[in-house]
Amino acid sequence: MIDRLLNIDRRIIFVFVFIGVAVPLLLDFNLPVKITPSSQAMYDRIEQVAAEGEGIVLLSFSYGPSTVPEIQPMVLSILRHCFSHDLKVVAICLWPDAVGLAQQALETVSAEYGKEYGADYAFMGYKPGGAIVIVNMGQDLHSAYPQDNWGKASSELEVTSNIHSLRDFDFVIDFAAGNSVDHWWVPYGQEKYKFPLGAGCTAVVAPDLKPYQNSGQLVGMLGGLAGAAEYEKLVGQPGSATAAMTSQSSTHLILIAFIVLGNAMYFISRRSARSQ
Amino acid sequence: MLFLRRTLPMILAFVTGIIGISIYYVPHSSAQGLEEVLARWLRIVYAFAFFLGLFSLLNLHWRRVRARQAGWGYSLIVYLSFGLMIFFVLYNDGTGPFSPQARAGGYQWLFLNVQVPCGATMFSILAFFISSAAYRTFRARTPEAAILLVAAVIVMLGRVPVGAYIHDFFPAAAQWLMDVPNMAAKRGILLGVSLGIVATSLRIIFGIERSYLGGGEE
Amino acid sequence: MYRSMIILLVLMGSATAWGLKAPVDFEAADTPNDAGTSVTLTWARDADAPAGAVYQVMVATDSNGPFYPAGEVSAAGSPMSEDPAAFGFWSDHDDRQYVHVEEFTRPGEDPTKLETDRPYYFRLEARLGEESVASGAAVEARAMENFFNWAKLNNFILAISFSAIILIYISIARRRELYIRRIAGLEALNEALGRATEMGKPVLFIHGLYGMDQPSTIAAVNILGRVAQRTAEYDTALRVANYDPVVLAVSQEVVKESYLEAGRPDAYSENNVFLAATEQFSYAATLQGMMVRERPATNIMMGYFFAESLLLAETGTTIGAIQIAGTDSYTQLPFFVTTCDYTLMGEELYAASAYLARESRLLGSLKGQDIGKAVLIAVLLLGTALASLDIPFLARMFSSY
Repeated sequence: MIDRLLNIDRRIIFVFVFIGVAVPLLLDFNLPVKITPSSQAMYDRIEQVAAEGEGIVLLSFSYGPSTVPEIQPMVLSILRHCFSHDLKVVAICLWPDAVGLAQQALETVSAEYGKEYGADYAFMGYKPGGAIVIVNMGQDLHSAYPQDNWGKASSELEVTSNIHSLRDFDFVIDFAAGNSVDHWWVPYGQEKYKFPLGAGCTAVVAPDLKPYQNSGQLVGMLGGLAGAAEYEKLVGQPGSATAAMTSQSSTHLILIAFIVLGNAMYFISRRSARSQ
Repeated sequence: MLFLRRTLPMILAFVTGIIGISIYYVPHSSAQGLEEVLARWLRIVYAFAFFLGLFSLLNLHWRRVRARQAGWGYSLIVYLSFGLMIFFVLYNDGTGPFSPQARAGGYQWLFLNVQVPCGATMFSILAFFISSAAYRTFRARTPEAAILLVAAVIVMLGRVPVGAYIHDFFPAAAQWLMDVPNMAAKRGILLGVSLGIVATSLRIIFGIERSYLGGGEE
Repeated sequence: MYRSMIILLVLMGSATAWGLKAPVDFEAADTPNDAGTSVTLTWARDADAPAGAVYQVMVATDSNGPFYPAGEVSAAGSPMSEDPAAFGFWSDHDDRQYVHVEEFTRPGEDPTKLETDRPYYFRLEARLGEESVASGAAVEARAMENFFNWAKLNNFILAISFSAIILIYISIARRRELYIRRIAGLEALNEALGRATEMGKPVLFIHGLYGMDQPSTIAAVNILGRVAQRTAEYDTALRVANYDPVVLAVSQEVVKESYLEAGRPDAYSENNVFLAATEQFSYAATLQGMMVRERPATNIMMGYFFAESLLLAETGTTIGAIQIAGTDSYTQLPFFVTTCDYTLMGEELYAASAYLARESRLLGSLKGQDIGKAVLIAVLLLGTALASLDIPFLARMFSSY
């Protein structure tokens, strides 16, 4: 019996995880979300930009379809926050498969707030090169992105016509599924051109960005689904991230239960082996 | 031939490497202008790499289909999927390939309703794999493993609402673990890896490292 | 009563006028370390400046004017100590204020940027409400282009020093053998390859997702060369999965060379070094399927990995393969550590390629990195101690400006 509990078939664990994720999604209750300093710092920066009047924010999309459930909710919340304060938004993509996701997010939220393309926000599309695009943008935005995603000259769009380089943005946020923040934006962007930089990233990347936040190179950070849920709470619009936190909570509890069970069986089997 | 395969690439690597490093320290407008030109050239090279990747992929699957290797049917599906996406890109919701990209249409639909769910599904498998891996490996066999186990449990509880619901200790402790020991360890690894990257880059610039040219030593 | 109020108001106004003083020690010079687009103005801080007072910068292209506004600075802010990149760290910088002037605005026009190497005339006016006091005669200055960013001198010296150390040790390594400590994962490599030979099953070598320009991929290719040589000697099947077409080409060459060196050119098959996929999860799915079908005895995962790391490693565990992983991707290290038998962490991957190859260029640069790390550790310890005693010079020396 102990042996069986020590080596539970992984498929049984999979079933429990599935139940842990699915059942809370079907039930309608949410647990209170606690705000972390990193998320609060992101929120405070956008509030500060809004207070200074006529701010413009750059959103960089560096993620793909696989991380949509984690990152898309924070994108929507950030956009809602920006548009609610009438901040201008410019969006770019550094990953090719982020284009459709960025377009969907911009269209969804701009419709909610009645924002007009070109006057209130602009989508510049994807350019290959990663860090090189950032260097280019730091020198001359219109050289890096001469046209928007639909071929209109960036110098003719009201939002981008007066923007010359990255220094002209009041806040730059990179939504990252990989290492675009620490390998591209910090060394080739923030360090060279000295602008306020924030990050929205997957939970697995978040610990790696802590040193940059501690050194002040990152203003703040939204880490994973928890970070997305915190931001939804801060802007007062709970969404899919908040709903998913209940699932994540139950799954973590199930995982901890299995770990405790495994360790208990391990110590019992070790003791019985010694007594024999 | 050796000049084109070895010598010329090494000369290019040396010249562009030294220029790239120098530009960082030189604020003169000519240096900044050169940086802008080099950046644009590099972006063009990156764009061509897409074609290289596409050609390699299609070539690989074509060879599998032609040779009827095991699983060649899946290679056929690659061609069908590629063809379908290209068709909708060229169709461009009825406006043709020379118009600006349509905001809606078959391509966008396929991306949002096929590729996004497929990608998210593959990523979600990780949740199950992490669970089985954690159950199997988080055993307090040694004092270090026990510390890792306790830290993992605290962070797992602290990063979700139920942890704060149980007790305020969990989110506070999880935050401390992330801000202090985790950051110290990450910084150490970051410093070491960064030195490694600098050393490797120097070897490439000075032609000491040539494995990127392909093959063994000459 | 009204007369008293009027007298009081006049006295208050006079007191305000007496608090507002003309800027003293006003100087204008080219802004250092730039591309000739800015002029820096400095002046002595007025400790008694009334609250709300500002300094208005005025610029002209002629010494007689007209002068145009070029921005303003609060009398309470902008000490020179706030911009060490431009002014350094001197004790009197708290007593002087500064502003960098890049443009001025003519009435009804867009801002005009300063031109390089053209004389401009600057004046500073202290203002409070309607009151203003000018700095006196205008001061001439030109914005000049600089050839070296002196604020980055510390970075430059460190870069040159570290580069020199690397190159010196590479040169030393060519003349004598340098010691590398044992790396557990590499010691197990022979055992892992032997296991595959005994079981008659293939060895699966998996590259990460980066291209040939990355140190982790270069290290992985070096390790692949040694693995290929040993599998050729043991007559064990080797399958190499690639993500990047350029890495594929290099891997094919490396494996072919290794088989040639082992005297087994006939055993090499190009189909065994293949392009699995060029998309992350397609790559993972391909390899997972291959592991489940072909059940390799040994999985070697070397390079830079992303989320697919756990998918690959966990699948490898289910089929009972012995797994050796090496990555400098710190986000994926925990997953490899928990699922693989041996994990090379961060620089151990770079060291592994040097350890196996025993080539002077790799050994020398590894030794140079170690020296660099030793210096950093010493600086960290000393700098922390000094900073705790409020002596910040070492921290400043290693700051980025």
